[in-house]
Amino acid sequence: MSDSNSKVHSAFEALSFILGSIPLSVSSCETPESLLLHHPEITKQISNHLKLPNSGAGENELCRWLYNTFQSSDPTLQLVVLKFLPIIGGVYLSRASLRKSLAGFEAILLAIYAYETTSRRGQAITVNVPDLSHPSIYHEVAVMNSTTELNLAILSQTLEPHGTIRSTKRARIVGVCFELYYSKIALIPLRSKIDFCELCVIWAGQDGDMYEDEDGRKHNGEDIHDGSKQNASTSEGGVGKITKGKKGEDKKDGRIPLPWEVLQPVLRILSHCLMGPTKSKELKDAASAASRSLYARALHEVNPQAILTTGSLLRLGKMAIDSNVEPDPTEIRDLRNPVITL
Amino acid sequence: MFRTQSREISLSENNVAVQEVCVNGLCMKTTLVEEKLDEGNIQEAESSLREGLSLNFEEARALLGRLEYQRGNFESALRVFDGIDLQAAVQRLQPSLTEKRSTRWGRSSNESVPTVSQHAANLVLEAIYLKAKSLQKLWRITEAARECKSVLDAVERIFNHGISDVLVDNKLQETVSKSVELLPELWKQADCYQEATSSYRRALLSQWNLDDECSARIQKSFALFLLYSGVEASPPSLAVQIDGSYVPKNNLEEAILLLMILLKKFHDGKTKWDPSLLDHLTFALCVCGQTSVLARQYEEVLPGIFHRCDRWNTLALSYSAAGQNNVALNLLRKSLNKHEKPDELMALLLSAKICSEDPLLAFEGVGYARRAIANAQGKDEHLNGVGFRMLGLCLGKQAKVASSDLERSDLQSEALKALDKAICFEKDNPDVLFELGVQYAEHRNSNGALRCAKRFVDATGGSMLKGWKLLVLILSAQQRYSEAEVVTDAALDETAKWEQGPLLRLKAKLKISQSLPMDAVETYRFLLALIQAQRKSFGPHRSNILQMEDDKVSEFDVWQGLANIYSSLSYWRDAEICLEKARTLKQYSASTLHTEGKILIIFLYKEYMQVPLPSVTYEERGRTQKALSAYSNALVVDPCHVPSKVSVGALLWKMDTKSLPVARSFLSDALRLEPTNRFAWHYMGMVHRNDGRVADAADCFQAASMLEESDPIESFSSFL
Repeated sequence: MSDSNSKVHSAFEALSFILGSIPLSVSSCETPESLLLHHPEITKQISNHLKLPNSGAGENELCRWLYNTFQSSDPTLQLVVLKFLPIIGGVYLSRASLRKSLAGFEAILLAIYAYETTSRRGQAITVNVPDLSHPSIYHEVAVMNSTTELNLAILSQTLEPHGTIRSTKRARIVGVCFELYYSKIALIPLRSKIDFCELCVIWAGQDGDMYEDEDGRKHNGEDIHDGSKQNASTSEGGVGKITKGKKGEDKKDGRIPLPWEVLQPVLRILSHCLMGPTKSKELKDAASAASRSLYARALHEVNPQAILTTGSLLRLGKMAIDSNVEPDPTEIRDLRNPVITL
Repeated sequence: MFRTQSREISLSENNVAVQEVCVNGLCMKTTLVEEKLDEGNIQEAESSLREGLSLNFEEARALLGRLEYQRGNFESALRVFDGIDLQAAVQRLQPSLTEKRSTRWGRSSNESVPTVSQHAANLVLEAIYLKAKSLQKLWRITEAARECKSVLDAVERIFNHGISDVLVDNKLQETVSKSVELLPELWKQADCYQEATSSYRRALLSQWNLDDECSARIQKSFALFLLYSGVEASPPSLAVQIDGSYVPKNNLEEAILLLMILLKKFHDGKTKWDPSLLDHLTFALCVCGQTSVLARQYEEVLPGIFHRCDRWNTLALSYSAAGQNNVALNLLRKSLNKHEKPDELMALLLSAKICSEDPLLAFEGVGYARRAIANAQGKDEHLNGVGFRMLGLCLGKQAKVASSDLERSDLQSEALKALDKAICFEKDNPDVLFELGVQYAEHRNSNGALRCAKRFVDATGGSMLKGWKLLVLILSAQQRYSEAEVVTDAALDETAKWEQGPLLRLKAKLKISQSLPMDAVETYRFLLALIQAQRKSFGPHRSNILQMEDDKVSEFDVWQGLANIYSSLSYWRDAEICLEKARTLKQYSASTLHTEGKILIIFLYKEYMQVPLPSVTYEERGRTQKALSAYSNALVVDPCHVPSKVSVGALLWKMDTKSLPVARSFLSDALRLEPTNRFAWHYMGMVHRNDGRVADAADCFQAASMLEESDPIESFSSFL
């Protein structure tokens, strides 16, 4: 048995010890790592555990398990931990103002942060914004080499090592964790992404229902509404107030400060959910609900950059849903032409 | 696919499906062949085609395959195509064409291409293409992708110099274009992202002679794939890179480049307008914070695509996000003109916000905010509170330039009212709490301010530095220095080393207030070391970020602060050295000049105390003149430098009775600029006393002493 296999097995056993009852044993046809990653019942149990009132404490067994699992440096096991990042980050940020011990969550987040710091060697991620006056590989018409400087944009700042989460660094650390989540997002199971989108609505603290298109698409507007109703309810007076109806603890609204260092990775993740390769309608609906809420939040903060970004997501999401099916350009043209020629 | 299939069926049911196959001038009803195919007898169908239309084996097969594909019988189409050895056919095509072409290659040639080989090539290639399509319809995606790829490989082998317009007939070009477009889509469907990336690049970087619409579709599809697939594509290979050209090195760069090229194509009239392009580009550029580049893209959009107000508003958002608020406000003024869209809520709120940052614009902002409140109806009703918040901010700012005390206090209380309203609407928005706190503090309601500041720190979980700072300042205004220091220390604990500057400066000032100058010096030293270390360890990257910059302590501040401490301790030499350092960092600064004057005066004053002389010596007069000129230089540098005005007033008051009216005018000027300056009130009282206006003097002294009891160590106005 290989090293990574034994890691997976011990992680699996440790988890079954914590959860008490794991519905399936390792002996079933699936490999334990894919079981951990994809099995809905295990996912549900862990999620529920994470949402318990004192789940983030330092001595919490599940937090320790997640921490150890992430530190195992086995890519699949790390993915298992990342899969729960929306819930960990979400519950953590929402509870940060409640003066509770969150050392368990913090340990996991710091481990993820440290991993990203090492793999990036602390470097900033930069983007050289193209300028059409410079010739490029995709130019079809030749241009003269221009002397203007390219704009250097910083996508993510340099990373410094942090041993503890200082409150002013909280947003940055969680933001970096989300950056890692985003870089692995193609491998992350659907459920986790849906969780993420639902949490966005709570973080925004705004109900975005008014930005749902009134005209045009009543048919699928209906079930979107049903979907979001479980989590979001509109109070009278037009002031959006989100009350999460799932677990008792989170009843207090979970609106969190959303500085750009958190908002940026959140929006990138959301864009993937909204326009990425997935065909899941549930995910797309959750993502459009999230983009509506974040748009409303951006308007409330009168933050131009956030308004632009969330506004474009909102419109793109609508376009994606509304768009009439265009004729497939790869279909042969004379498909219905009664005369066939060679 | 299903639609076409069902239509075929309905047609045949109504017996209208009279399809014909026409080749070589001969025609034949398809029904005859179809019957045979339906019986599963491919060979008979094939031979009847060959006989009826005098075709060879491959041609007949290709026709049959297409017939089956069109009828939606993909399984059967596959069986038909499997009967042809397509690879061998491609092999046969290769040498013949290359030989001929090698002599003929070149634009000048107008020799017609031998249609036979083109025709044959198309026959084979289309057959492979349709095989790929059939496989796709049967969800055998990976196989489909492989077949589709073999079309492209074959094309490359047959035309090894790429395809050019003059050489290729329409049918063949169509097959090629479709295969080029289909391949990346297939890889995407098969979840093979690396293959998808390379086939996209192959489509865009090789010569396929695609038409504009087709290459635009591929470019867009690739851009979206790069932006949203969540998989980081490897950068383009070195082979395609041209010297000195821009090579994107990550997904975002490549996607932005493609989207910009697509927009350019539209502007050049090559493609039709696609409204989603700008939205994708907006998203991509905003994510990397390059809204000024976005603004440039919007500037280039041709008229007639957006309503001009929408364009102005988007431009305003972009410019404002890029820190160019003046430009943004001018655009918003245009779009909010009564002939345009005066009720656009977002524009109203943004203009109010921009105006709230400048006292001279605050009045205009009040108007926008009131209009926003009036227009926050229907689905925008939830923005009511934001309107009130902006109103409060603008009124508070307007109070700063009020011409009279009465007006000022009116404005301030209106501002408080508006912010109170805002908080009713925006209960869970801590920012409003913060702003209300600052407003209370400016209004000298330190208890109210303290309550707000505490709630803000709680609500944000202590994550905002400005919350801690406000709390410290309010406590210092209440003269609760030791508590303020405890809060400062707590805040320092919650702050990473590089961001501790402003807190350390506060701490130094707290030490001074507690009459612990040497501790303050120590703190300043620490701060200095921090700043210098920071400068060394960070390259240009750090300074690029606006967010970080606005709350940084500069080295100049430290030297200036140290100079002030040393001068108050009468350590002349040290003070001079610090001033010198400050001067090298910033040559003309009102505060340095002011400290310079103050040192001269304190020096004079001390000597005066030690050697009490009844008359003013020559030297003494010289020093006073020097100090006075230092102060007036400070006022030349910054005409609104309040401490210099106060010092000039104080100096003139001390010098002789003839200057009292001038002293008074300087002091009242200072009070107009900063009504809460207790020194100004104090000297004003002195002037009144010397002039014999005892009652006025008493009022001034009272104001000074009241202010002393509520004086923060740094002005609250630094927050708003």
